[in-house]
Amino acid sequence: MSASDLPILLPAYGEILLLVLASAILLVDLFLPERLRGLTHWLSLATLAACFVLTVQVVRATGGQAAYTFGGMFVADLMANVLKLVVYAAVAAVLVYSRRYLAERGMLRGEFFVLALFATLGMAVMISANHMLALYLGLELMSLCVYSMVALNRDSATSTEAAMKYFVLGALASGLLLYGMSMLYGATGTLDLTQMAQVIAVGQVNGVVLVFGLVFVVAGLSFKLGVVPFHMWIPDVYHGAPNAMTLFISTAPKLAAFAMAVRMLVNGLIDLAGDWQQMLVVMAVLSMALGNFAAIAQTNIKRMLAYSTISHMGFMLLGLLAGVVGGNRFSAPDAYSAAMFYTVVYVLMSLGSFGMVLALSRAGFEAEELDDYRGLNQRDPWLAFLMLLLMFALAGVPPTVGFYAKLAVIDAVIKAGQIWLAVVAVLLSLVGAFYYLRVVKLMYFDEPRDAGPIAPGRDVRWLLSANGLAMLVLGVMPGSLMALCLVAVQGLYPLAR
Amino acid sequence: MAALPLEQALVLAALLFALGLAGVLVRRNVLYMLMSIEIMLNATALAFVAAGARWAQPDGQVMFVFVLALAAAEVAVGLALLLLLYRRFGTLDADALSELRG
Amino acid sequence: MLRLIWLVPALPLAGFVVLAASGGRLDRRSIAWIGAGSVGLAALAAIAVAAAFVAAPPPAGAYTQVLWHWIEAGDFSARASLYLDPLAIVMMLVVAGVGFVIHLYSVEFMRGDEGYNRYFAYMNLFVAAMLLLVLAGDLAFLFVGWEGVGLCSYLLIGFWYRDAVNGAAAQKAFIVTRTGDAAMAVGLFLLFASLGTLDIQGIALRAPGAWAPDAAPVVAATALLLAGAVGKSAQLPLQVWLPDAMAGPTPVSALIHAATMVTAGVYLIARNHVLFALAPAVQYAVAIIGALTLLGAGGAALAQHDIKRVLAWSTVSQIGYMFLALGVGAWAAAIFHFMVHAFFKALLFLAAGVVIQALGGEHDIFRMGGLRRRLPLAFWAFLVGGASLSALPLVTAGYYSKSLILDAAWASPQGGAWLWAAAWVGAALTGLYTFRVVFQVFFGAGATTDTHRVGWPIRIPLAVLMLLSVIGGFVEAPQVAGRLEAFGHFLASALPPLQPAVAPGTGFALGVAEGIASFGGIALAYAFFLRRRSIAALVARSAIAAALHRLLESGWGFDRLDDHLLVRPYLALARRLRADLADPGYDALAAAAAAAHRGLSRSQNGRVRWYAGGIVVGSILLVGAGVWL
Repeated sequence: MSASDLPILLPAYGEILLLVLASAILLVDLFLPERLRGLTHWLSLATLAACFVLTVQVVRATGGQAAYTFGGMFVADLMANVLKLVVYAAVAAVLVYSRRYLAERGMLRGEFFVLALFATLGMAVMISANHMLALYLGLELMSLCVYSMVALNRDSATSTEAAMKYFVLGALASGLLLYGMSMLYGATGTLDLTQMAQVIAVGQVNGVVLVFGLVFVVAGLSFKLGVVPFHMWIPDVYHGAPNAMTLFISTAPKLAAFAMAVRMLVNGLIDLAGDWQQMLVVMAVLSMALGNFAAIAQTNIKRMLAYSTISHMGFMLLGLLAGVVGGNRFSAPDAYSAAMFYTVVYVLMSLGSFGMVLALSRAGFEAEELDDYRGLNQRDPWLAFLMLLLMFALAGVPPTVGFYAKLAVIDAVIKAGQIWLAVVAVLLSLVGAFYYLRVVKLMYFDEPRDAGPIAPGRDVRWLLSANGLAMLVLGVMPGSLMALCLVAVQGLYPLAR
Repeated sequence: MAALPLEQALVLAALLFALGLAGVLVRRNVLYMLMSIEIMLNATALAFVAAGARWAQPDGQVMFVFVLALAAAEVAVGLALLLLLYRRFGTLDADALSELRG
Repeated sequence: MLRLIWLVPALPLAGFVVLAASGGRLDRRSIAWIGAGSVGLAALAAIAVAAAFVAAPPPAGAYTQVLWHWIEAGDFSARASLYLDPLAIVMMLVVAGVGFVIHLYSVEFMRGDEGYNRYFAYMNLFVAAMLLLVLAGDLAFLFVGWEGVGLCSYLLIGFWYRDAVNGAAAQKAFIVTRTGDAAMAVGLFLLFASLGTLDIQGIALRAPGAWAPDAAPVVAATALLLAGAVGKSAQLPLQVWLPDAMAGPTPVSALIHAATMVTAGVYLIARNHVLFALAPAVQYAVAIIGALTLLGAGGAALAQHDIKRVLAWSTVSQIGYMFLALGVGAWAAAIFHFMVHAFFKALLFLAAGVVIQALGGEHDIFRMGGLRRRLPLAFWAFLVGGASLSALPLVTAGYYSKSLILDAAWASPQGGAWLWAAAWVGAALTGLYTFRVVFQVFFGAGATTDTHRVGWPIRIPLAVLMLLSVIGGFVEAPQVAGRLEAFGHFLASALPPLQPAVAPGTGFALGVAEGIASFGGIALAYAFFLRRRSIAALVARSAIAAALHRLLESGWGFDRLDDHLLVRPYLALARRLRADLADPGYDALAAAAAAAHRGLSRSQNGRVRWYAGGIVVGSILLVGAGVWL
């Protein structure tokens, strides 16, 4: 069956289903009595599972080829589908991890699930956007939901403050992005990213307006990724938001932000790679430096992981900026797939480590101070071991997958001839190793401070085990995920052979 | 009616945008920050309309409508947050909210 | 059928995972079933695979199974692959088979130990790592097994960790073998840098084209690999760890000595025989190391009091024989001796274990005696094992394998009369020290003890190993016993046979001479330790003999030598460097990092307008970068 024989909306079936089911859950939840509240949780998980399966079917039907719909605004290529699958899985994991936490704090209400599902829809749209309007709509849908989620705990002063900061800065960044888009539109006369790439390739565009547009788009993207100097919201929001929301915003939205960066910069503006790669170099180095140094002496693990996010996103940028060398796109698939691999792996690591924060929290107690991790090995050796794997992965210690993710990116950077950048990246990762290993030291060599019970549910324990062990398994066998990323990236429009 | 030159429209949009940006930086009241952000969004909307006119396409105006709609949605969330903020802290001074730092 | 080969290392690994994950929730019965069962199944799988291989040899005489692509970075590619050829089959069968009987024995032997679960978990991992080592098709993958074996030896030697002495022995084993491992890793880097691959077959294919014989890189690479092999196989000068490794439970010693760990070095050299053939100087060094080790260790075995230390030194000595065989190019003879040695050394250790347990943990042979009647099974097992170790002519397996090595040492172009003579003296020493133990422990008058009943999990392994120690040699026979070359033929596609072979007349004479050495050693032992103890006592009283005895008992004083030469200078240096010049540099780095942290966290001042300013300034900088760069 060729692509033209497919039902016209097929590429977007997953999103349509998600929209319908999320709306249905919104309605059903209104009429559920209090004691059946758990049902919403299961319905949300079922929704994500259904979307996951449907997306797999879409991949089957399209044979992994790029399929367009809504007049080319929406594309379901392999990269989009793979990222969406990871997003669905990540959001499902977030729901499992945070169920008990939210229930104990009276936040396990329909709002959380509906907001999470709509945010997921926003991410899926962002990931599949091939048009600046779709991109912007998806971004706003996601952002507005996430702002509200951060503020969901209305009794908490810190989460209100975090939500306010996130909202003001997020809106500002959206404004920058939108302004950049308007300039790009003014310069090229099209909002469609594929057409934009063609127009720029022909060369009849106003250079200054184009570069201004590029700059503001990069600024908006950088905010969403959280790289220096657009990073300042990250520590405060991660720190201030309820743990479950921190888990959410530190995982799936990173994938969406990565997809947005690839759509804008690679799909649309690859001919300006010489310009944006320069910008990314500066931001990558600054992010790795600031993230790692600022994390060193944090006492709050959420804040520490927030700074680590900044450094990781900086590291991921290294992959994006190593694609085009002197106008030659020959090694671009390797570099972009390394960045994609890094992002996916980062999301897994982040899920696990914030999931651990949730698993150790209990009613009236947030396990967010580093001191709470002292002597974890004596209290629960298995959880301590999983946390060790996660910390090793974040630090990039072989044989965990964090090492291979870093290796792939560094390999791409070296192939692009930027040896000094690789050296800087490795040195700054070394700084990072300090604070990850400090957590391990606290867990294994210190006496416990907190003597409270550790009783994550059975589902959380299993999922955390799978999450932690995945660090090891993927580290020993990274081949298939790496290959999948490569194929996905090779299917991108400007790189397709 | 003579068409508005693109450059002039873009300069106007840029000025408006800068004005909004300055507002965000200068005003301490969160409500005014919100309003400044609205100004920025309107500046981009203006730029879209001007660009649409330049290319003689409806796309710019479509974007304009969407930007307005989304700005409204954003304001809805923003004002809700603002209420929450005022109830918790009794002030809308952005600088007073710096518990989270370091 | 061959496709099932991945099961062979995977089954013990699965056993390890299950036992480790159970966290002590299993009862002893299940632990025994899982621990011994997983290795038993692996042995069955190994037999099935080997049978399939023999019934229908794959094309080119080898089968490769790529499990997954493990590391891909730039041009470097390490495949996780298994490689099955006759050499690997022999190693796999011995490791899995002997490993299984030792596990079976442990089921009863370790019954009273509180660490039952931990014990079987480590043992399974040990066997899994060793199987990985012998089946790996890629040196990088092999190195994983190599290090795994080292780790498990550490864990098992220090199994009774509450006693600090055991911990020290475990550390010693680990550190000494790591010394060799480090050299080996450098050798691997060197091989990769020069040949661009670590695939074992790829190396064998490319090396002869890339290097002339005795070219500098190949000499360096093989010398480094040799250092790794010397460490793992406890050869001079890195033999010091093995006697101390007796701190572990006796079945662990059996496993380390017979099936795993120490034979890894022999396997490594045999596996890379193409490289060693390109570096005759290094290969000759292998022979010299083997000859020196077999003599030195044989002498040391003569002076030990601890029954397990005698056996430990005998292992060092017997592996010296294998190195000698490798050094003179008799690859198949080395592997043959490895196999036979695995049978009788496991038997000896297991029998010694019965004796030790029956006497309530007594290790000193001079506090034993007359145990022939009390422990008939242990006696017969030890006698058969000892006879095989002493290479009693014609009836024991040890004779066939050892005389093949002696023949090769004589006939090989790299060999010669001196190497043969050393090996001959070593053979006599072997008979002497082995039967010293036999006569001391099982004959004469001695401590009385109740008869010690052992169950079938101990009897069956002893019976099987007794049988194999006798008939295990009838697959290859030297000239004197009628020429038979089934084993060598089987290995011929993996390991080239020795050229030229021994001339028939010479072979006969050599065989007789070897018989004389064996009988002579045993006769001397009979004279000194059973018949005329007074002579031994007389000799022992003389000052020279006493000094010699002390020297031998301490294993030629290597421990003291290392202590003076390495450990103390290192400690002194470490003390000297405690407040060294580089420290302020590191402190400054740390202080700089802390200062950077303070500065950066001050930038995070919590004010949203400041953050917005950051975004604006960032955008302006980007504009600058975009427009002017």
